[in-house]
Amino acid sequence: MSEQDGLLQVEDLKLHFRTRLGPVQAVDGVRFSLDRGPAMVVVGESGCGKSTLARAVLRLLPRNVHTYTGQVILNGTDVMKLGEERFRRRIRWVKMSLVAQAAMNSLNPVVKVGVQVAEPLLVHRQVGNKREALERAREAFRLVGVSTDFLERYPFELSGGMRQRVVLAMALIANPDLVFLDEPTSALDVLTQTNIMNVLKGIKRDLGMTFILITHDIATSSELADRAAVMYGGQLVELSDAGQFFTEPLHPYAERLMASVPTLREDRELDFIPGQPPSLLNPPTGCRFAERCPSRFEKCDEEPPFEDVGGGRWVKCWLHV
Amino acid sequence: MKISRYLIVRAIILFCTVVVAVYITVFIANMGGHMDQIRRDQIKFDVAQAVYADPGNMGVPTAELQRMINERAEMQYRRLGLDQPFIVRSVGYLTTALSLNLGRSEYLTSDTGSREVRRVITERLMPTLLLLGTAVILVFIVAVFVALALSRRYGSFVDRAVIALAPTSSAPGWFYGIFLILLFAAVLRVMPYGGMVQSPPPKEPLAYALSLLRHLALPVSAIFLGGVFGGIYSWRTFFLIYSSEDYVELARAKGLSSRRIQNRYILRPTLPTIITQFMLTIITLWMGAIVLETVFNWPGLGRLYLTAVNLSDTPIIVGTVVIYGYLLAGTVLLLDFIYAIVDPRIRVGKGGGSR
Repeated sequence: MSEQDGLLQVEDLKLHFRTRLGPVQAVDGVRFSLDRGPAMVVVGESGCGKSTLARAVLRLLPRNVHTYTGQVILNGTDVMKLGEERFRRRIRWVKMSLVAQAAMNSLNPVVKVGVQVAEPLLVHRQVGNKREALERAREAFRLVGVSTDFLERYPFELSGGMRQRVVLAMALIANPDLVFLDEPTSALDVLTQTNIMNVLKGIKRDLGMTFILITHDIATSSELADRAAVMYGGQLVELSDAGQFFTEPLHPYAERLMASVPTLREDRELDFIPGQPPSLLNPPTGCRFAERCPSRFEKCDEEPPFEDVGGGRWVKCWLHV
Repeated sequence: MKISRYLIVRAIILFCTVVVAVYITVFIANMGGHMDQIRRDQIKFDVAQAVYADPGNMGVPTAELQRMINERAEMQYRRLGLDQPFIVRSVGYLTTALSLNLGRSEYLTSDTGSREVRRVITERLMPTLLLLGTAVILVFIVAVFVALALSRRYGSFVDRAVIALAPTSSAPGWFYGIFLILLFAAVLRVMPYGGMVQSPPPKEPLAYALSLLRHLALPVSAIFLGGVFGGIYSWRTFFLIYSSEDYVELARAKGLSSRRIQNRYILRPTLPTIITQFMLTIITLWMGAIVLETVFNWPGLGRLYLTAVNLSDTPIIVGTVVIYGYLLAGTVLLLDFIYAIVDPRIRVGKGGGSR
């Protein structure tokens, strides 16, 4: 975790939602940092707060926010301290962009896709006029492998894979430092998934953009990831180099999660984790995984710290302190 | 090019709808042909009376008289076209009705004293279009912008207050009209009771326009009050639904200003839905105009229709029904056109897109 190369540093980020039953601790005290260059993958079960984490960093908040605190330090500035208008002008899309979960619905149905892709350039005054903006959109289309004929089309005229690529082109167009990819391929068939992952790999290699890939598809994500983070019950429980993580995860939950991934050649029983993820309405006070953990002991009633256990690996577990 | 083809197809379909509607009217008005039988019996009865009453026919044998009666009645049938089957005659009725070539009214006249049905009706068309057009445009613009503003302040006091007023739209415009007349004309005496211009009408165009505006204010307010809160309520709901779409959130992430998001990412995708609903509102307004114009003594189609019904002036009644059919079809066609402009899925057509 070198300071000089640090792109993003998140400290004790909390995002709780107000509901009728009480506050939901969707993201609760998340802490990590990411250097420029390596891609990070965030994995975890549905409802563990992966997407909410991205929204918390990007400040895409719903109406029912209960608590929104912590630090998000991007290129050395704490963007949480910026006012809404300054955040919009200086950070949104030009520094951090997003490929949202449902690409099918990420495009405005009544605006031509070329205009939608070019729009951020005009809004953030990166180019002088619409013609230049469309020219850049054309380049972005080429980059993600969409025929430039589609610039003049409406979203309903594009297939799912095309739309996904267009959304990707839109995320790249303003040359942001950091791109959040929120399950970019989950709604697509395997071939299209592979295609898009290859496009992403190419962009990472050629443009040096930093990706944070949020997914529950561990197998596909291993293609792209340099760092891997595991989320459970609104918290990060492990953050490691991808290579180490995929072969030898440390946190008991991460271990079980990896054991549940099918592999083609190995002949072993698929494992599963008994029980349910904890309710984020009223999470347990100690380790949130304790209830389902096979190696639970007395100490697990207290909350474990999220600490560096050496070799750039961070684990939130008493077994590894 | 695609849009013109779409509109031509829509126009043809709508015209067919009007034709069917007018044919049904003709069919009902003639009791499915039974009316012909009644007229035929009436003619035969009249002819028989005339033949028996004729002194020259004294002493002629009954069989011979019967033959004469039949012969003359046949002649009358042929003269009136009653010898043809109803199906054939109904087509003739249909074409005269559609071309508004309905001949002369029985009692009502136009301002110029003409009894030609077409003239009586077209003279009343402009005032109705003026009144309803003004009101409808006003309701639309105000309701859309208030609804948009409220959808941003969803759950606030103003929002809940306006929504609480939504049931007021269950009463028709003329209901509010009565109270407006009572308040502004009878009690405060600042507005006229009704009519379209003061009497005698001012000679100068400017004074005429001012007088027209003064007379327009109350009926337009009545329609406005009767429609605006319901419109705000339902459109606000549409805006709320559409503002939770993923592309709105992405637009926010893109750093677009809230004004741009509102206009381009919420208003524009919602417009087709709003327009469809608005179309239904306009159609009920056309119907409500009959009472409203009577309440405000407005010289429009609605009042003409009511007067004609009271006087049993059949040509005028049929003519008004036909013109209402045309107006409804025209409204629908206009909105189809607007719909095509705001929604590329209609304009471009499914799977198309090349130009």
